[in-house]
Amino acid sequence: MSNAVSTATRPATSDMVRRLPEYLMIWVPLLLSAAHLISFSIWTIWISFTPSTLIPVSGWVGLRNYTSVLASRNWQIAFDNLLLFGSAFVLLSLITGLLLAILLDQRIRGENVLRSIFLYPLAVSFVVTGTVWSWLLNPGIGIEKLAHDLGWASFHFDWLVNRDMAIWTIVIAAIWQSSGFAMALFLAGLRSVDADIIKAAQIDGAGPIRTYWRVILPTLWPITITVVVIQLQFAISAFDLVRALTNGGPGIATQLPALVVYDLMFQRSQLGRGAAAAVLMLLILLAVLLPYAAWRYVQRRQATHA
Amino acid sequence: MPITTTRRRLLAGSAAALALPAFARAQGAPKPRLTAISQWSAGSDGAAITALGKKFEEKGGTWQHSPVPGFTTEMMNKLRAQIIAGDPPACSQLKGPEIAAWSKIAPTVDLDAVVAAAGYEKVVAPDLAKLHKPGGKWIALPLQIYSTNMLFLSKRAMDKAKADKIPVTWAEFNDLAEKMKAGGVTYPIANGGTRADDGQKFEASLAGISPTAYRAAIMNLDKKALEGPEIKAAFVQMRKITEWMDPNVGAQPYATNLKRFVDGDMGMMIMGGWAQGVLRNAGFKLDDFVIAPGPSDNTKPVFLLNADAFIFWQRKEADLQAGQALMAQLVMDPAIQTMYSQITGSIPVRTDVDLSGEGWSDGQRRTAAALKDAVASNQAVLSLAHNMAQENGLTAAMIDVFTEYAKNKTIKPEQAVTRLAEAVEGSR
Repeated sequence: MSNAVSTATRPATSDMVRRLPEYLMIWVPLLLSAAHLISFSIWTIWISFTPSTLIPVSGWVGLRNYTSVLASRNWQIAFDNLLLFGSAFVLLSLITGLLLAILLDQRIRGENVLRSIFLYPLAVSFVVTGTVWSWLLNPGIGIEKLAHDLGWASFHFDWLVNRDMAIWTIVIAAIWQSSGFAMALFLAGLRSVDADIIKAAQIDGAGPIRTYWRVILPTLWPITITVVVIQLQFAISAFDLVRALTNGGPGIATQLPALVVYDLMFQRSQLGRGAAAAVLMLLILLAVLLPYAAWRYVQRRQATHA
Repeated sequence: MPITTTRRRLLAGSAAALALPAFARAQGAPKPRLTAISQWSAGSDGAAITALGKKFEEKGGTWQHSPVPGFTTEMMNKLRAQIIAGDPPACSQLKGPEIAAWSKIAPTVDLDAVVAAAGYEKVVAPDLAKLHKPGGKWIALPLQIYSTNMLFLSKRAMDKAKADKIPVTWAEFNDLAEKMKAGGVTYPIANGGTRADDGQKFEASLAGISPTAYRAAIMNLDKKALEGPEIKAAFVQMRKITEWMDPNVGAQPYATNLKRFVDGDMGMMIMGGWAQGVLRNAGFKLDDFVIAPGPSDNTKPVFLLNADAFIFWQRKEADLQAGQALMAQLVMDPAIQTMYSQITGSIPVRTDVDLSGEGWSDGQRRTAAALKDAVASNQAVLSLAHNMAQENGLTAAMIDVFTEYAKNKTIKPEQAVTRLAEAVEGSR
């Protein structure tokens, strides 16, 4: 009798013990990082309402930090730049990534090598990317000088030091860095398209362009949304790339919100205002992430209903 | 089971081994020890503070300097972190109005007795002394002085321009730049494009046009002076300077151009005296260039004062307190100030140091003479670009305007005047 009970319980306990490492691996880091994220977010929000300057202090100044950040030229330039940089970067990296993926999808020789090459920039740190591009784009030592030395004297490419075009140098470097990532996702999507549908389209007499446009690409749109969201959150929080490439210059022409936050907190010793700018950045991020989360939720519900 | 025991024993053993030296040190005599942080890590600055550390060790102290390379603000971030953690360094670099601001967030050491014993107050310029005793008590000690508006002339560029007269006013300066351009100097100005550099171009322009307007507008933030005609004139002069510069300079530091400056490809540089130390440290000779006071329209030298200093933070440990006393004595010592300034290219804080000796350059002698003249004619003012005139927040807001103006030629001087006044208003 007692024997039977013990045989019944033993598998359950030993199962628990066996799976303990799994639980520890998943839950401990998850809870720790969630606690970190949430506690520091709350702390930052609190600081943004205090008169903190050199070090955090308690007190209440209401929305004063927010109004002064929103009224500052630095923030306005940063916000305009974010709109321009964010949309140009996401759109262009989508197009580049998709084109690369389609070209790679043509069952070409050396696909693995090419795929690694296109993905490689992702493995490079943004600081390295920024520094290398700052050399390449500097008219005095980079591409412009190369063209001049090769005899093309009228060649002109001074975007890095041209305050109207400098933001595009960041777009270029960011696309170089992350279009490989878009390519990888799209390529996976292209490979998962049902071969029968493609065959059916071909039997119906659709050419390759028509097949892609009408049959294959429409199946890619869930991946497209994922890519857009991931790239957008990168664009909003972009910091190291800009810091290494232009450092917000020429002048303050390429400021981005993350640079403003850093500048206020650690260069100007205005912790309260810096925290306010950080909270504004968080709000911009939420404006992207919440609709995405809602969309995912609707998708999942539809899937379970079906 | 036996395995765990061994492990535990091993751990305990190694912990004891680690703790032992600290224990032994605490038991010994209170040997002076100094924990210090500064931004001086390399080049002539690094060499100078290393030499100071050697002197400290010669006097029987333990020197623990942790340099934080980069801008002063980077050093401040470390200082802030240490203060919040309740473990400030015994001594740290800090200067200008920041001394007053930071002394409010952590207790500092009262240095009045040490300063009085050394009779130091008599030999320090009064404006400078005021910055280091915010509550009426000495809590920090200035270490060396620079002028941020020294004029560096490249000998080879002067030869190309067939000129040998050092320009005194802005008009003469502008003439010489034109002559250099005509004589084949590609870029008459060799400055860089960092924020501080752009700030220096403006402060040198304004102080050279009118030190009185500089004092009122930049140091006292007088609203009327901030919108005055001198400010506009300064922006006009600054535009001229930027137009003679290499447009590709971007945000590079001035030091990038030093070789082209010495070679005569670039002609003049408005920079702090520290450039002399950097030039020498880079292997260039003193007769490659001339150093003179920056342009001043009333022909009397204007001195844009920048002084490095050490602030002393309160510590309970006996050895650190002994170290602070020793450090204070060293920093005030004329021999130490001589040694330090001869390495970095600055001038000593003490006004009673004789600069006629071998180790000093003509540039340093001229700087010291300029300071004396400027103090006498009330033309020694505090540098904005190097955080001597205002606290960081205000300084940064004003430099935003200068750096944008330097890079954006479509901003008119009148617009820049309005923006400067707005920037001051917005961050007050």
